[in-house]
Order: sequence, then structure tokens, then C-alpha cells
Amino acid sequence: MIETFNSLMMGFSVAFQPEVLMYAFFGCIIGTLVGMMPGLGPLAGISLLLPATFGLNPIIAIVLLAGVYYGAMYGGSTTSILMRIPGEAASVMTCVDGYAMTQQGRAGPALAIAAIGSFVAGTLGVIGLMLMAPTLASFALRFGPPEYTALLLMGLFVLAYMSGGSMLKTLAMAVLGLLLGMIGIDVMSGYTRFSFDIVELGDGVGIVPVAVGLFGISEILLTAGQADPPKVQQPTLRQLVPTKADLKLSVGPIMRGSVLGFMIGIIPGSAHIISSFVSYGIERRLSKHPELFGNGAIEGVAGPESANNAAATGAFVPMLALGIPTGPVTAVMLAAIMVHGILPGPMLIQQQPDLFWGFVASMYVGNVVLLVLNLPMVGLFVNLLRIPYAYLYPCILAFCILGCYSVSNSTMDVWIMLVMGGIGYVLRKFGFDLAPVALGLVLGPMLELSLRQSLAMSGGDYMIFLQRPIAVTMLVLGLVLLGLALKPLIFKSKDWRSSVGLDENVD
Amino acid sequence: MTGANEGNVEVKGGLRSDQISGVVLIAIALVVIWFNREFPVGTLADPGPGYVPLLLACTLAGIGLLVAVMGARSQSMAEIEWPEATRALIIMLACIAATFALERIGYRLTTAAFLVFFLGVIERKHPLAVMMVSAGFSIASFYVIGTLLKVPLPVGPWGF
Amino acid sequence: MKSIVKRSMFAVMAATAAFSAQAQETFPNRAISMVVPFPPGGVADVTGRPTAIALEKVFKQPVTVSNRPGAGGAVGNAAVASARPDGYTVLMALSSVSVIPEADKLFNRKPAYTLDQLAPIALISADPVILVVHPSLPVKTVKDIIALSRKQPGELSYSSSGVYGALHMPMEMFLHAAQLKMRHVPTTGGGPAITQLLGGHVTMTAGGPAAITSHVKAGKLRTIVSWGAERHPNYKDVPTFKEQGYDIEYYIWAGMFVPVATPEPVVKVLRDGVRKAVSDAEFKDQMAKVNSPVKYLDAPEFAKYWDADAKRLAAVVKVVGKVGP
Repeated sequence: MIETFNSLMMGFSVAFQPEVLMYAFFGCIIGTLVGMMPGLGPLAGISLLLPATFGLNPIIAIVLLAGVYYGAMYGGSTTSILMRIPGEAASVMTCVDGYAMTQQGRAGPALAIAAIGSFVAGTLGVIGLMLMAPTLASFALRFGPPEYTALLLMGLFVLAYMSGGSMLKTLAMAVLGLLLGMIGIDVMSGYTRFSFDIVELGDGVGIVPVAVGLFGISEILLTAGQADPPKVQQPTLRQLVPTKADLKLSVGPIMRGSVLGFMIGIIPGSAHIISSFVSYGIERRLSKHPELFGNGAIEGVAGPESANNAAATGAFVPMLALGIPTGPVTAVMLAAIMVHGILPGPMLIQQQPDLFWGFVASMYVGNVVLLVLNLPMVGLFVNLLRIPYAYLYPCILAFCILGCYSVSNSTMDVWIMLVMGGIGYVLRKFGFDLAPVALGLVLGPMLELSLRQSLAMSGGDYMIFLQRPIAVTMLVLGLVLLGLALKPLIFKSKDWRSSVGLDENVD
Repeated sequence: MTGANEGNVEVKGGLRSDQISGVVLIAIALVVIWFNREFPVGTLADPGPGYVPLLLACTLAGIGLLVAVMGARSQSMAEIEWPEATRALIIMLACIAATFALERIGYRLTTAAFLVFFLGVIERKHPLAVMMVSAGFSIASFYVIGTLLKVPLPVGPWGF
Repeated sequence: MKSIVKRSMFAVMAATAAFSAQAQETFPNRAISMVVPFPPGGVADVTGRPTAIALEKVFKQPVTVSNRPGAGGAVGNAAVASARPDGYTVLMALSSVSVIPEADKLFNRKPAYTLDQLAPIALISADPVILVVHPSLPVKTVKDIIALSRKQPGELSYSSSGVYGALHMPMEMFLHAAQLKMRHVPTTGGGPAITQLLGGHVTMTAGGPAAITSHVKAGKLRTIVSWGAERHPNYKDVPTFKEQGYDIEYYIWAGMFVPVATPEPVVKVLRDGVRKAVSDAEFKDQMAKVNSPVKYLDAPEFAKYWDADAKRLAAVVKVVGKVGP
């Protein structure tokens, strides 16, 4: 413990060098900017700055890139809250209640809670990283395809809690999302499915254009033609700050979201998005007012936002402790370290203590920088709402087209966004919830792949799911959750609609 | 379809929104099953590329059926109003045109024209404001995203 | 019919290209776009970005990296194959460039592009892959693996970067040559393939030197054999398949291509530019540090190399055939 403390002090002496601080600041600014742009997520920001880091010393390089990473994770929530445009997959859940809060004139508290939640989650994540990195990393390695399958199934079961509308309709949307996820090359066999000879669909439908279309475009289609456009908001300073009640409601979700996000974040793979969905489901389940979810519940912003930031920190555990990437972002960061002649791997912490501890300390610093940077910016961002809607929506549309184009520099993603916008508009008219589509799209290919990988491992034997303790535990947990969700269906079968289908308002 | 319904609106008869949704969901499932026929389904122990899509499509059809059957008490089709549909259609068409133009005449021209159309033609704002917003937005966003963040945005044949 | 149309299209494109080349005396006089057909962080990207920086120094013009991921590289490859052949669009492709059209043939797909649409400029790097096993597996040599596999047929398993991917091909070469059967667990990339092995969920995989080095040093993976023609400089003690009596060879390489109709003078400028760029000390240093040392070949030699490699790969794809039920 004392050793850890001493090492950390050494780390802080690295992190507080003015040059390192400056780069952390710079990284956060670039990251926030990049994250606000739908389509330009953390990955784009990091690869953009990668060549520039070749000439820097390795600690500064990784501090800069880490700053970009969590800056971008936070930046994504800004547009979600203000305009219902999810900058990246992790912000989809933030859109739902964050934007509802904006419509009620509470954009300020939503943004502030997102910033505070991100800060707390980031800080808790770094503590976890610091104290338990090697232990957690070996735990993460035990996550093979069967465990992954169980985790994803658990994620799907949580769907039952996610939506305020009819459970049947929620399920229908989730299946639709899962089917969308089937488009593209099947990793297990090489077949190209449902791509209709369009080469760009070979890798499947991206989550960003789908989310931007379903959430952002559909919102504009619904709002722009209304007889009286949304009113221009002129929030006072007091309205920008979360109330005591807001803060009180958010403590629990932030804490739970942080722990959950961190645990899911350390698992190699791209399942980070699950953390925000699961957190949302849990908060809704625990809340005394589940009917407020979807209509501007602050817990619905606090939980998922914390979860997705904690997952971002958790992703560094296997990267630093084992040298394995948990996703594309950490892969680029590993490349950035390697360019400096440092071999990331199981021996990194012993061989390069100043890099590891400098990195840990600078993440503390980075989180503070992000908070200091973003809380005052809340006022600035909210000013966007002062723009009359007639000016605002054409610009948002242009912004969405630009963002989706820049995902992979092709108009295919823009087409997908437009199609999804149209579909989202009609679906909302018919009273369907859209978040399950996004969840299904992300989970679909992963679930199918890990299921078939497990069977390839066992030679077709389903017992593999029951022979592995982690997988069994998660499956049981998932089934319990599902059972709890279905309970009202079974016991009040006469009029289950009214007990589950909490009055849904189509705006 | 509307013709058949018109007389029934008052007596709360006619097609319900969930009945339509259910039928559409079933239709989607059938289309998927149709396109899925060229992929080997495999066995439970060794699922092929067609296995999961088939499973999902069947589930979707089942859910669709339930939605349609249980939808008898849902909102009537005629109750859903479409006051903003015309504007929504115009927006979609403009976006489609812009997407077509994007790689042909370049990002800045497309965006400027797009904004001029909305602000000038649809919203009928003051010409000066229209000019300033559309020129300002397209040039500034190109500078930030294209030049500073180095996203290779399309440039048209006139270098703009 | 289709090929006639295509050929005449090429003729027209070549003509316009020749015209535009005349019009602009000095190539390059504006930014060159380097298409990387994979997302950031992969081998192509990690090779492409330093190359772009080195080329910028040579040409005194910006060289921007444009990631066009999709369909295992098919999207980006196809985009360059049909790009305007003026030298301002170049491709940084991996060995998979030759596999995709073969796989398309296998599945009767409309090919996204054909190999004769691309002209080689230079090979930048070529790393042989190395067979690594989980340390708990009681094998030290190829012979051990074969013996173990014969004893427990179909029980050993390997992970790969995806069906017909860069790590699937070499394993199939080996399995076919040694007439073995193993369980194949495809993943979504080189990183996940190694992670599966580290966790002990599979018994072996073929790994690029850059990806395995730290794990081998820490004793988390054991090297068995390399697919190179000669021993890898960083792995002097790892024998090659050729030494073990198997005539198989496989490299993950990265090379630069342009559309085939690019006029000769422009190609020459690009070739000279790349030659200067790869001898840049800083560039060499960076590539060595990411464990992917520069292996430069100019267009004529690269064309031969590419041809031989493509033939080997086409043969493997045919042997593998369609996977699954």
C-alpha cells in the first residue's frame, strides 16, 4: 500500500510538470470537440493526433491521447443532450432522458450531471486501475466466447426494463435491431448476408449512422413541421445548476454506473455500450418513479453517462497490465506507445513504472481538467438553445450529414442515416421505442459470433456454457432479472398492458 | 384504405395502429426469410450463416402476430395525425438531394445550397441572414472538420 | 461483354489520365490521398501513417491518410481500383488484397475489384507470421503438435483474425501440408485472436511478430515455428517451416498501389518518392520500433513478389473452400 502511494506520488511529480499538464488540457479540448461531432468519435481523434505524438516523449504522448479519449467520451453526451444526436454508440441512452430534460428547459442540469458523473466515474475508475490492474486483467482474460455469450444475453434480458412502452413492442424493436446487425460478412463463414451487392454494406451497418438517423433526424422530421416551433430558451443562471434534489437523485446512479461500467470496460471486446444500457435498466428498476424514465429523469442521464466513462477507464486495465487491446481505441494507443520503443505487455508496469504511474496520475489530473473545462462550458453550450429553431434545424441536418459522411468517408453512411431517419419517424408515430433497435444492432453480431465461437470451441457441445463458472453465474443472474421483469406479466395477466405499458407519450 | 375507414372512425372501428404495425413486422420477417434461403442454416450444434437470421425472423413474425392480435384496443389508425408529414417529406427530399450532390459538387457548395434552400425558401428568412448563415456554416465547418481535423471532405470540380 | 466495356473504360481513363498528366507538368502539385482500407490501429494504418509523413517530406505536398474500412479491406481496395488514375489516390494495402477476389469467386459474388485493376508501386514491409501456443500445451516443436493432434484428432483449436483472414490462411497452409484437422475459432482481428489464446480459450494461433513479442518475452506464449523463408531477425531461435521440411511460406505484407491506368511518368515519380521515403532514418526507426522493419521492394520486384504470393493464397483459398455446414 505504501509502495503504491510512493509510486503514485512519483506519478504525480510526472503529471504536474507544466508541459504534461498543458498536453492533458489540449487533449481534453480536442477530444471534447471531436466527440461533439457525430461520427468523429474517440478513435478518429486519437488517430488524428497519433502522428503528432511520434515526436513527443512517451508519457506526454499517452497523456495527450488519453485526454482525447475521455474528452471525446464526454463530448458525445453534449450533442445527445442538446440536440438528440448521439455522437457515438455509448451516448444513445443519454439521448433519451437528456434530450427530454432539454425540452423541459433543464439542459443545464443534464449537462452538469453528465460532467460530474463522468468525473466521478473517471476518478473511481483510475482508483480501480491503480489498485487492482494486474488482478483484474487476469480476470478479464478468463472472458472467452462462452462468458461473452452469457454477458450479451444478460444485456438482452435487461431490455425488459429499458422501455416504458409495451414490452412486446420493445421486443419487436430489439429483434429488428438484431436483424439489422446480421447485415454484412459473417465472420464465421465468410458469407456476405443481406448486402444486396453493395460493397460498403460488407462490414455491416454502422451504429453511428443508425443512431443519428433514428434519434436525431427523426426528431427533426417530427418537430420542424409543427405549427408552433419549439420556444427559444433563455435559461437563467440558477436554471443551469443542478438542484439539491437532482444531486441527491444522482448519487446512487453515478456510483452504481461507475462500478458497472468499470467491470464491463475491462472485458476485452467491444461490449462497452452494454454498460450504458444495463445501467439505464438498473436505474429504472430501482427508481421510485420509473414512469419518469424517458420523460426527463436525471437518473437516466447520470447512470449511463457514468457507466460509459468508467468503461472507458476500465478499457485501460488490460491494455496497461497485459498489452492487449480491448478495442480499436486502445489498439491505436498501444501503437502510440510502441512507436517510442516501449513494449506494452505483462512487464510494462515493472519495466516502465514512470510511464504507468505517470499515466495513472495524469488520468486523475485529466479528469479534473475535464471537469474544470466542461462545467463552465455548460453555460456556453446551452446558448445554442437561444438560436431560433428555424435556423437551428437546417444546421443540425447539415451537421448530421457531415458527421455521418466522416465516419468512413463515404456517402453510404449518409444514406443509412437518412433511411433510418425516415424509419424512425414512422416508428415513433406508431408508438415504438427506438433505443432497443440501437442496442440490438450492437449486440446482434457480437452475440451471434460469440455463440458460434463457443460452439466451435466445444465441437458443438452446449455444455460448454454450463461448465464454466463465470458463464453460469451470469446466465443465472440474467434469468433472475428476466423472471423479475416477467412477474407482472404472469401474475396480472388480465391487464398486463396497464402494469407494464406505463402510459407512453409519443411526442 | 382510408376510404374504408372513414365511416368507422366515430364507432371506434377500423384498423388499429398496432394491427398495421404487426402486419408490417410479419412482412419484414417474411422478406428476411426469403432472402435468407441462400445461406446454409446448419444444425443446432453447428449453426451456419443462415441460422441466427432465420431464428430472429421467426421470432419477429411471432411478435408481429402477437402485436397485431393484442392491438385491437390500440389507437385507431385514423387517430394518428400527420400534420408535419409534408414538411418531413420536403426535409427528406432535400437531404437526399444533398447526399447526391455531396461528392459531385463538393462539401461547401452542397452545404451552402442546402442551407439557402431551408432558410431562404422554406423558412423565408431575411436574405442577408440566409447568406451569412449558409456561407458561414459551410466555410467554418469545412475549416474545422476538413482542415483542422483532417477529414478528407469532398471537394467539387471547381475546387470548392 | 462486361470485360469489353471495362477495357474500353480503362482505355478512356488512360487517355484522359495521359492528357491530364501533360497538363500538369509537375506531379504532385496538390495533396495526395493515401487510402488505408482498414480502421485506425491495424497494420495497414500503423504502416500507412509513418509512410505518409515520410512521403510528405519528399514531395513537399501533404499526404493525407484516409481510412476507408469495410468488408475486410474490399471497400478501400475497390475505391482505389476505380479511382481517377492520376496518382493523387494511392492505396496502402495488405496481403489480403489478393485473397478478397478469390473469396468473391468462391461465393459467386460480384467481385468488388480485380487484381488487374491495381498496379504495384512498392512493398513497404513484410513480416512472416509465427506459430505460438499457450504455455500449458505440452508441445515444443512442429513434430510435437502433429503427434498431439494425431493422438486427439479434432481436439486442438486455433484462433484467427476471421475466415480467409490474414491469420487463417497460414494456419490452413500448415494444416493442409501436415494433413491435420483442428477446431477453428475465427475472431474479428489479430488482437482478439491473440487475446483468445492468452486466455487459454484456444490452443494456438499464428501471430505477427509485433503482436506477440511482449507476451513471448513474459512467458505467456511459446513460439514454435515461423512461416518465413529465413529466420526472423528478432526470433533467431525459432525455426522455419522450410527447415522442418514443409514447403510453406507466408507473410503479412503492406504495399503501395495505384489504379492500373496511372500514367508511367506519375508512377515513376511515386516510385522514386517512396524509395526516398523508406530510406528516411526516422521512418526506418519508427517501423523497427513497431516491430515491423522496412522491407522495401521497388515496383518490378514487388510485382513478382505479389504474383507469387497471390498464387499461393489463391491455392489456399481453393483448398479451404467454403467453411461451415
